[in-house]
Amino acid sequence: MNEMDFETRIGSLAGQMDYPRTPDIAGDVMRRLRPRIGPRPFGSAQGKRLAWSLTLVLVLCSSLVLIPPARAALIEFIQIGIVRIFKPEATPPPPAPVRGTPTTLIPVTVTPAPTAQPLLPFLDRILGETSLENAAARVNFPVRVPAYPSGLGRPDRVFVQEVNGEMLVLVWLDPQDPSKVRMSLHTIPAGSWAITKFAPTVIEETTVNGLPAAWATGPYLLLLENGEVELTRLVEGHILIWADGDLTYRLETDLPLEEALKVAESLQPLP
Amino acid sequence: MDEPTLIRRAANGDAAAWEPLVLAHQQAVFRLSYLLLGDPDEADDIAQETFLRAWKYLHRFDPARPLRPWLLSIASRLASNRRRSAGRYAAALARAFRSQLPPSSVEEKSLRQTEADGLWKAVQALNASDQKVVYLRYFLELSVAETAQALQIAEGTVKSRSNRALEKLRKIIQRDFPLLLKDMTHE
Repeated sequence: MNEMDFETRIGSLAGQMDYPRTPDIAGDVMRRLRPRIGPRPFGSAQGKRLAWSLTLVLVLCSSLVLIPPARAALIEFIQIGIVRIFKPEATPPPPAPVRGTPTTLIPVTVTPAPTAQPLLPFLDRILGETSLENAAARVNFPVRVPAYPSGLGRPDRVFVQEVNGEMLVLVWLDPQDPSKVRMSLHTIPAGSWAITKFAPTVIEETTVNGLPAAWATGPYLLLLENGEVELTRLVEGHILIWADGDLTYRLETDLPLEEALKVAESLQPLP
Repeated sequence: MDEPTLIRRAANGDAAAWEPLVLAHQQAVFRLSYLLLGDPDEADDIAQETFLRAWKYLHRFDPARPLRPWLLSIASRLASNRRRSAGRYAAALARAFRSQLPPSSVEEKSLRQTEADGLWKAVQALNASDQKVVYLRYFLELSVAETAQALQIAEGTVKSRSNRALEKLRKIIQRDFPLLLKDMTHE
């Protein structure tokens, strides 16, 4: 097939794309333009998210500012790679914000809690799905996959997300129920995200191949920052975080710590 | 009333002149946003923001130029920012628990639609700049000149970037979506 045939084929296939119905954008735009003479409300989904982010950031910042110096000195955090985890206080505050938890702040995690709903429709809507080989060719770091537990095999879904750097997300589905996620592994290069977790229910310092690691269980507040957007969400599930050089690994699983450590320590380069 | 006249009137604050322009271009802006983000709600959000920003800066726009490439340029930048944002990733996670979309069934889709979906997935494996040129040239069927205006690059750069993107796309399709090319041999 020559270049022209290929280009014609691409144009033909692209022309068959079935798009969702175009919403009434003109109507919404004109409605949003009219009140611009006065104060502009948070109208868009992004605006609402930003509003909640700012609210929660303010709540969190306020609580830190208001802590008396003696108590403030007790606050510690663990820094693992790009992840900073604030340890819970003796009497941890309730994880959810006090006033009107928005619907977007329901517990979310790639690895669902036992009662969580199937995630496959969601996985189908994440951008950046690719093959493992293509991901390995695309990211600027070596892709490593766990060899434990035996029979785990290759990830069922692979995503590369651009977040001021390229984050690799590997997802293994539950073989007994492929509508659920068994385990996910994020590989996040330095300089892309900064992640801060506030006061998880349980946090334990441990090691992965002798490197400092943290084991946390939720729910807890999670701040994601990439220099442009901050957004807070709640996370449930067990998370093992460790760093190796410039890479931070984040393993989500419902396995116990001992098993999660075996998974983490079994990472191997792609064959 | 022609487009340049509507643009001039809208730039002078006539909102009634802006509405037909939005209507004329909303589909292209929405579709590009959808291709870049893969989510109709976010595409709607970006499309609205595109027209609001364009309205705000319309006085800087030359009415003699076609409006669509400029709008697509704004939409492209907004969508890229959204794609890079951690907020988008987290929002997608949250939506998973809110939306209960029925799993898509390949059997329910026509072969043509399945092929188009396959191509879309293949394009998503390209880097961001290559994706944009493919979406504008082949999905939205913009000319080289319009694509150059939308991407704010030279026409020659559009051609070379298109060629490079197609070459990468061919390799991806051959490796991951070979059926897309196999069908061609039967045509």
